[in-house]
Amino acid sequence: MVVKVNNLVKRYKELIALDHFNMEVKEGEILGLLGPNGCGKTTAINCILSLLSFDKGEIEVFGKKMTPNSYDIKKKIGLVPQEVSVFNNLTVKENIDYFCGLYIDDKKLREKYVDEAIEFVGLKDYVKFYPKKLSGGLKRRLNISCGIAHKPKLIFLDEPTVAVDAQSRNFILNGIKKLNSEGSTIIYTTHYLEEVEMLCKRIIIMDKGRSLVSGTKEELKAMITTSEKIVAGFLNIDDKTIEKMKNIPHVIDIEKDDEDYIIKFENGVNNLSNLLEFIKDNNLTYTKLHSQLPSLNDVFLELTGKELRD
Amino acid sequence: MTVFKYFIKIALRNKGVILSYTIIFFILSILNGSNPVQNKNDFIETRLNIGIIDNCNSELSNGLRDYLGKRNNIIDTMSDEEYIKEQIFLEIADAVIIIPEDFDEKVINKENSIKIYNDDRKIESLQIQNQVNKFLTFVNATYERGEYNLEDVSFALDEKAKVELVESSNNASDNSAAAWFKYYYNFTAYVIMAIYISSIGLVMTDFRDENIQSRRKISSKKFLQFNKEMYLGQLILASMITLVFILGSILLKGKYIGEVNFGKYVINTIVFSFSILCLTFLINNITKNKFIINALSTVLSLGTAFISGVMVPQEFLGEKTLMIAKFFPTYYFVKINEMRVNSFLDMKFEIFMQLLFAVVFLLMGLYFSKTSQKA
Repeated sequence: MVVKVNNLVKRYKELIALDHFNMEVKEGEILGLLGPNGCGKTTAINCILSLLSFDKGEIEVFGKKMTPNSYDIKKKIGLVPQEVSVFNNLTVKENIDYFCGLYIDDKKLREKYVDEAIEFVGLKDYVKFYPKKLSGGLKRRLNISCGIAHKPKLIFLDEPTVAVDAQSRNFILNGIKKLNSEGSTIIYTTHYLEEVEMLCKRIIIMDKGRSLVSGTKEELKAMITTSEKIVAGFLNIDDKTIEKMKNIPHVIDIEKDDEDYIIKFENGVNNLSNLLEFIKDNNLTYTKLHSQLPSLNDVFLELTGKELRD
Repeated sequence: MTVFKYFIKIALRNKGVILSYTIIFFILSILNGSNPVQNKNDFIETRLNIGIIDNCNSELSNGLRDYLGKRNNIIDTMSDEEYIKEQIFLEIADAVIIIPEDFDEKVINKENSIKIYNDDRKIESLQIQNQVNKFLTFVNATYERGEYNLEDVSFALDEKAKVELVESSNNASDNSAAAWFKYYYNFTAYVIMAIYISSIGLVMTDFRDENIQSRRKISSKKFLQFNKEMYLGQLILASMITLVFILGSILLKGKYIGEVNFGKYVINTIVFSFSILCLTFLINNITKNKFIINALSTVLSLGTAFISGVMVPQEFLGEKTLMIAKFFPTYYFVKINEMRVNSFLDMKFEIFMQLLFAVVFLLMGLYFSKTSQKA
């Protein structure tokens, strides 16, 4: 286990930021820490990295207890903070060299690592630029390169794609996949579902400082009762027919959403063909009919009763 | 030594601050050095406009009138106090003298015999008081058997003594060089404080940025090693700045180094620089705000320079001002520059005070550093 967090409690006076938070990260995986803003993702990371003290719990990184003086562990860790944290008075290359220099003393090796990091984030044409001259996306890339230049075994990426254009976001996400394929274990915090679905092998869903559930995305989706949703629009339907529709096998609920109806099914097969049969039998005319598999948002919704982006 | 390297690099990127202060300082020093020394060895009395109201009209009072009339322009006046004050205020008269009825008696009894209206703020007041005092002193000297010898008084007052100053040919240039060094080094107090606080402060705000600090904290760079490199950077930068000013004085007036106590200036400047470096350390541990640091740089450097006698000599400053100045190292720095030093022992108290300030600033800085780390 690369990271093991047990019953972590962190309080800010009356506010409980982490409430008996648990987490385990295996070597070589990308773990997604998913939750709404303010749910405690960054606090959890800061506690793991000893940037924050905590009230209760245990943290082990690479099998050893993590403390502010665990320099041998820190050598293997990289952090990409949420905010772009670079010197405005240093160029792109100088920034990467400085942060890499906090880990690597050997000048030649550092030079090699810095060049590789520049290549990795695609900032070769901007090495002499000052951060102020870079676009938001390029700044984010610089922020990432400063955290990974020393080739850490464990990388913490705290919402690295916030306020980034689509092109830079894809570049960053592909880069993260590449880092992982090169052997780095990654802990990725975000509130973007698509990114977690695309990147992470395992996901922890957090809310109010607690880890609600963890598992692969398939495991998480299997945890909720709704396994399929069909969104349908009808021209001629009344309340009686809607009530009748609830008798279709596996239907657990029907919700009205503007002009459409969301028909929720629990585990089962042939849900769509059963619905089509019902439409035909009741002479209904439909304007829209499409099936959706549950998303992580549905998982979050069912677990907390609120949308992830609320 | 990555931290040290980039500390210096960022400091040099902020070179605008250092250069602007340094260039202005050297321009002023060159201009000051190019002015020929004006050692005033003579004193010329000017003719003043004075009014005299003689209520006695005796031989003695007439003698005083004649004596003052020879040296000044007598103007019309009235024995009305309001009118006299108006004449003084409007500068129609430099002084108005009222001779009382019992003038002769008072002179014999050596009492305050006449009243002079003048503007005490003006140097002319001193001249007229001198003339009157001189006359009365001479009159008293000739008083014998109930009589004055006004002829002797007049003769004595007209006599001029010729004084020849015996001086070496180098004396003027000696004095000029000493004055220049004093001026130059006094002003380094202002420039060093301004540059240290602003240049080192600006670099430190970058390094003390919360997010950048987080990156440092999670790195494998040991805190002690990081601080060592950081303080080495500050020390080297500070030394470079101080060295520029010491070398500047050698460059501008190098040939006079042997004629002034150059060692005193160098030791004093190094001690003062160290003290200000500690002050900068304290400020950097109190605030990370660039605007506050810039404001402190201006206010502290200008403020302490003014109250400590950099711009106006200490002897012209009020007691209260000097009392406040004593709470800053600049006061002791200027004091050493102003004093005649024969050995290190002569300035040991002032050096001790500057070092004491350094220790106090350092301890306070460490306290605030610990407090901010806990927070």
